[in-house]
Amino acid sequence: MIDRKVMVFGAAFVLRLLLICLFPSLPDLLTGRVEVSTPVNSFKRLQEGLFLYSGNVSPYDGGTFHQAPLLLPLFALLPDAKTWPLPTAIFYILVDLVNAQALVTISESGQSINSRFHSAVRKHVRWNGVSVAAWFLFNPFTIATCLARSTSVFTASGILFAVSNAVSGNSVNAMLALGFASYLSMYPALMFLPLVLVCYDRRTQSPQAPKIAPFILQHAGLLLASVAGLLGLSFLITGNFWEFISATYGFHLLVPDLTPNVGLWWYFFIEMFDSFREFFLGVFWLHLASYVGGLTARFRRQPLFVITSLLGVFAIFKPYPSISDASLFFALLPLYRHLFPLMRYTFFAVSAMLYSSLLGPAFYHLWIYAGSGNANFFYAITLVWSLGLSILLADTIFAALRDEWEQDNPGKQGTEVRQV
Amino acid sequence: MTVLSILSLPFVAVLLTLWSSLTLASDYHENLLLQPLPQSSLLASFNFRSNTSQQSFDQQHFRYLPRALGRWDAESWGPRPWNGSKEGGTGVELWAWIDAPGDDEAFAKWITLTQSLSGLFCASLNFVDSTRTTRPVVSFEPTGDHSVANQLHLLHGTLPGEVVCTENLTPFLKLLPCKGKAGISTLFDGHKLFDAAWQSMSVDIQPVCSSDGECVIQIEQTVDMVLDIDRSKRSRSNPIPRPVPNDQLICDTSKPYHADDTCYPLEKMNDKAWSLAEIFGRSLTGVCPLADSDSASDQSVCLRVPHERGVFTSEEAQEIKKEDGITRCFKLTPSTSFDLSIPQQPVTTEIPLDEPVLHAERTIVGHGQERGGMRIIFGNPSNIRPVDFIYFESLPWFLRPYIHTLRATITGTDGVPREIPASDIIKETYYRPAIDRERGTQLELALSVPAASTVTLTYDFEKAILRYTEYPPDANRGFNVAPAVIRILDKAHNSPIYIRSTSLLLQLPTPDFSMPYNVIILTSTVIALAFGTVFNILVRRVVSVNEAEALGAQSLKGKLVGKLVALRDRFRGKDTKVE
Repeated sequence: MIDRKVMVFGAAFVLRLLLICLFPSLPDLLTGRVEVSTPVNSFKRLQEGLFLYSGNVSPYDGGTFHQAPLLLPLFALLPDAKTWPLPTAIFYILVDLVNAQALVTISESGQSINSRFHSAVRKHVRWNGVSVAAWFLFNPFTIATCLARSTSVFTASGILFAVSNAVSGNSVNAMLALGFASYLSMYPALMFLPLVLVCYDRRTQSPQAPKIAPFILQHAGLLLASVAGLLGLSFLITGNFWEFISATYGFHLLVPDLTPNVGLWWYFFIEMFDSFREFFLGVFWLHLASYVGGLTARFRRQPLFVITSLLGVFAIFKPYPSISDASLFFALLPLYRHLFPLMRYTFFAVSAMLYSSLLGPAFYHLWIYAGSGNANFFYAITLVWSLGLSILLADTIFAALRDEWEQDNPGKQGTEVRQV
Repeated sequence: MTVLSILSLPFVAVLLTLWSSLTLASDYHENLLLQPLPQSSLLASFNFRSNTSQQSFDQQHFRYLPRALGRWDAESWGPRPWNGSKEGGTGVELWAWIDAPGDDEAFAKWITLTQSLSGLFCASLNFVDSTRTTRPVVSFEPTGDHSVANQLHLLHGTLPGEVVCTENLTPFLKLLPCKGKAGISTLFDGHKLFDAAWQSMSVDIQPVCSSDGECVIQIEQTVDMVLDIDRSKRSRSNPIPRPVPNDQLICDTSKPYHADDTCYPLEKMNDKAWSLAEIFGRSLTGVCPLADSDSASDQSVCLRVPHERGVFTSEEAQEIKKEDGITRCFKLTPSTSFDLSIPQQPVTTEIPLDEPVLHAERTIVGHGQERGGMRIIFGNPSNIRPVDFIYFESLPWFLRPYIHTLRATITGTDGVPREIPASDIIKETYYRPAIDRERGTQLELALSVPAASTVTLTYDFEKAILRYTEYPPDANRGFNVAPAVIRILDKAHNSPIYIRSTSLLLQLPTPDFSMPYNVIILTSTVIALAFGTVFNILVRRVVSVNEAEALGAQSLKGKLVGKLVALRDRFRGKDTKVE
């Protein structure tokens, strides 16, 4: 068992290293792809920020750098990625492996099939931790994100560590990790409620169960404290609090940079009438946040599933999504291998996603380089991509509900169902 | 002096009152220098300078350069007129030292200044907003005498795409005391002026103080142009260029392919014949009576050709030959017209043209509308001395440079390019990054190029995609990027030498402008589809099919269907069956 894990991790490491050594221009090529690098996670922008930071110019007094300040001293420790690309690449590969290890922990805790209120009917249909990690490590989207050195992987680490600590019962560590992820990208803070429920359900299995309301408040305080601590550290680094707040979180909220990406926001706000821009910004953010309440309330029995589906929602409806967000969603999906037989539109969703991942780069080329297509070509592909992902998401949610129903009605396994 | 509003309306008033009082205390000079250049070109350099003591002008100095057009061909025309100090980049360039207590006050005054100058010169200077304004640190130095030098703020703005035409010439002439009715300004004809191969107009205003503390305001207006003699001589009634008839072609007969129908044109052996009336389309009328009558201003028209060349002038004009062997000036008589003509003659002695101190070239490299690179080439023609200079560029915010990608390559006499660390060439860097929709990038580099070598600087940039309302109507033409300004720090010259690169055209990615409604509808549909599906699944109960049918019967729809079935059955005469 251990040997298989070592093999998978070793193979993932060697595969990435081989790709970098055989195609030395591949990392820079992927860094430039809009599908991989967005204004909030691009490695090139990070390097520019780093250059300004080391030159004693405030990197936030400009329109290029919008990432968290703590990344700057971290990357200042690494050798220059232009002259010495290997240390940075190995660092990113290690982060990927660490993320995979967190996935193994989550999978082996068995929380996805067997939690406080829920016990899946098809328990035998599951993959073990190493298979889930392999699914993550050999996903081309994950490999592309790793090679492109996108800083989304740190947010992914924060989220995965928060979840893995929550399912192992370390609720304090879980909140600290979620605080780190929220500090980096802001949106993971929306996952607080399901995460704290995972922690609570885990805690009730021990003898003295705390009350739920104080437990949530206590952990909210913990999350706020961790974010505040990181912000305080950032203030020490940058020296100008509001400047970096508006350049990072303000940038996430107001979406001023409309560089194309795989999401739905950029073209919508390019074409939006000026007087309605603020209104629709509010609507889009409300829409994104609305899933938290609905999913958490309906899936009170499976808070880990809420986290998984929220990651899917973020991969579709974030202001600056990239394929790294989709890869995180795909990483947690195999935890619900037992739901796959209940899904109805898998073929349609998977073919829509394959179709858009193959045609997306081609249509982008036609628009930007060949000039034989216009912006609508790439826009249409982002629509298909979002549609495919949302069909997959809705289908997973349906399968999870059906699974709960089968648990409640043990005799009716495998019968036709309908929703009323 | 803190109020800059004198530069708006009072500015005009000052100028109007100024000239009426000039007859009393005349302090006005005008001068025209004509110099034939290689390739049958002619440089005409007009200069008008006047002083006035006007207290309200005290602490101001601004320079307004309506435009330069075309490209100064330094390789064949030599150094620029006035060492480039009275020249703007392509389009309009404006810079001013503004006396203000703080940055914000200075900017407010700057906006007042641009708005009023916009009205005064019929130019779109009011489009110089915060995104087009920079505050250069080392590229410009105030000229003139200032008492409170620590309060001055330098602001600099460019409009590289501004097209300047005859409507800008009229206000320019209105500022002159003789308003184009007498003196050398009578030669200004909009058709010829804006038809030049290269042309630059400028207005400088600066305070000049004498040793006894009395300050005057000096206004200097210059017009420089390089005219193509052939093109200017073409008659206005028949302006279409026609090929030279075969029998008038001078061919190089030594070429192996020379035949009756193939010709390799020889370099012109003769200087072209031209006259003022032919070139400018009108002749010079008298002298401006308001001009100073000292000896310098008297000789208001000067010509730089070798003394042995024959020059025919009107009889009244008095010719004065200078000692340098190539300059002669003419003393004109009032209210008689003056013409000057040069016959065609073989070239005997060339007028020596100085070698420019530095060659500079800036281009955008790369393809596609996503990203590109900037390449700046500096050539030092001197074999002995290195050349130190300041390189200044202001970039629009939608061009996002990555300064960490700045690379330097040096090519020595051996012609082999070698990459060197940029810090070997760049002594100092002043960099202010752009903020989207707020300000542009400002980059100032202090560079040193070694003798007899060429340095190439490159950096990458990314092109932002804008909101569809931010594109101009001709979005696919591209966006103008302002020329770079180079200030050469040469100890040999008293005043700094300025060189400007050409402006650049930047292609940005464009959305489809025709379908905002479609995009809003389609995106909203996808979002509504996802939201609707997910919440539809979430709010409904899961039941088996049998239960669903039973439930369906109890619902309103089920009852209705039941009633309908019962009704149908009754009509058919069957027994009613109510579920």
